[in-house]
Amino acid sequence: MDKKKVFIVEDDEFLRSLNAKKLEDEGYAVAIAADGQQALDNIPKEKPNLIFLDLLLPGVSGFDVLAKIKAEAATKDIPVIVFSNLGQKEDIERAKGLGAIDFLVKANFTLDDVVAKIKDILK
Amino acid sequence: MFSGLNFDFNFSNDPDFWLFVAIFFVISFWVGYFWRSRESRTKWLIEQANLKTQQILELEKVNKEMLDKNRELYSKELALTMANKHLQSLEDAKSKFVSVTTHQLRTPLAAIKWTLDMAAKGQLGMVNDEQKKFLGKGLDSTNRVISIVNDLLKIDSIDEERSQYEFHPTDLIKLIGDVLFEFHNQAEIKKIRLNFVRPETNIPFLDIDADKIRIAIENLVDNAIKYTIEGGEVSVIVSDNRLNSAEGAIEISISDTGIGISSGDASRIFQKFFRAGNAIQKEPDGSGLGLFIARDIIEKHRGAIWFKNRPDGQGTIFTFTLPLHQKKV
Repeated sequence: MDKKKVFIVEDDEFLRSLNAKKLEDEGYAVAIAADGQQALDNIPKEKPNLIFLDLLLPGVSGFDVLAKIKAEAATKDIPVIVFSNLGQKEDIERAKGLGAIDFLVKANFTLDDVVAKIKDILK
Repeated sequence: MFSGLNFDFNFSNDPDFWLFVAIFFVISFWVGYFWRSRESRTKWLIEQANLKTQQILELEKVNKEMLDKNRELYSKELALTMANKHLQSLEDAKSKFVSVTTHQLRTPLAAIKWTLDMAAKGQLGMVNDEQKKFLGKGLDSTNRVISIVNDLLKIDSIDEERSQYEFHPTDLIKLIGDVLFEFHNQAEIKKIRLNFVRPETNIPFLDIDADKIRIAIENLVDNAIKYTIEGGEVSVIVSDNRLNSAEGAIEISISDTGIGISSGDASRIFQKFFRAGNAIQKEPDGSGLGLFIARDIIEKHRGAIWFKNRPDGQGTIFTFTLPLHQKKV
């Protein structure tokens, strides 16, 4: 069976590598982007099963990435989980409005929680 | 001496003389009268003129004073506007500080939390029991800092007066739905069932400050989930209580199957910074502000909040009311 692929958009190098390591250990293929533009360039090529998207990114913001992913026929059906340390009501509502299926505040969850979430969505 | 002159000096006998005298007196009198009256009129006019001059001076003085006062008012208004702008920018700075702080602090905190969590679980290599214990302690401390950072956002709203609240007609059912969406992950992780029991008939929009009520409900639901053990249940029940109360009110209950509140702690549960003994045991991280903030917000809406332990002894029910309308007081 092919590995499911998770695309992580995260500008913090350490968080990104921890998250990637955890998901690889759990048997997922992982692709990464360190900023919004990289994400927009690579998501159509990588065709992931799920996207983890940070909101505050250098250059193109996570909100813009989300809007563009959802506007493209090729990528619009990929589920996007916003994984950010923003977490004000406005941010959650805006991300929901743009089509994110979930919103997680990084500091409030462990990576085991994240894996449980992914398993649930990709089952 | 005059005897040489043939002149009759006996004037008293000359009627012309008396006529002349009479005319002289009459003329003198009138001349005198006119002169006097002219003089007094002149005097009066001068007095009047002086008076007017004085009045004009006074008016000028008053006018000048008014101008000065006007200028003073204007400068005070300017000072007020400046002060207001200053306050506004302080408020903006505070909000910015809070949002930047939460983001900037949460990122490294998440990194520490994930690392310690993975290390403690042996996912980064074998750890012995001793190491596991210490890593666990490190994780607890990190979680405590994260919870304080999260509370920073809530504290922001404590100090506001009722006059600063913005009451607008709001769909309470949607608002509660949004709050529950926020918590479904937290509930899922603990395998807690999250129920939402809506009223049988539609309820009208409520005059509330939606941002504030949201915080109050968040705090109540957060507590309910926090203090309920795995596999438990948390329900939010909205009931239309307009027929049963003098003033139209909606009742919202948050019911959990958690650790409950002992009778000894009951009277202090809403106090600022108070944390019940069993709560600290169950969840060491907590600021003791959640219920205090919730009650503050609900009372500023002219509502009331209370709690009771569930009849089966399994958990607690917090109930609060919200009036339909806010009187402008």
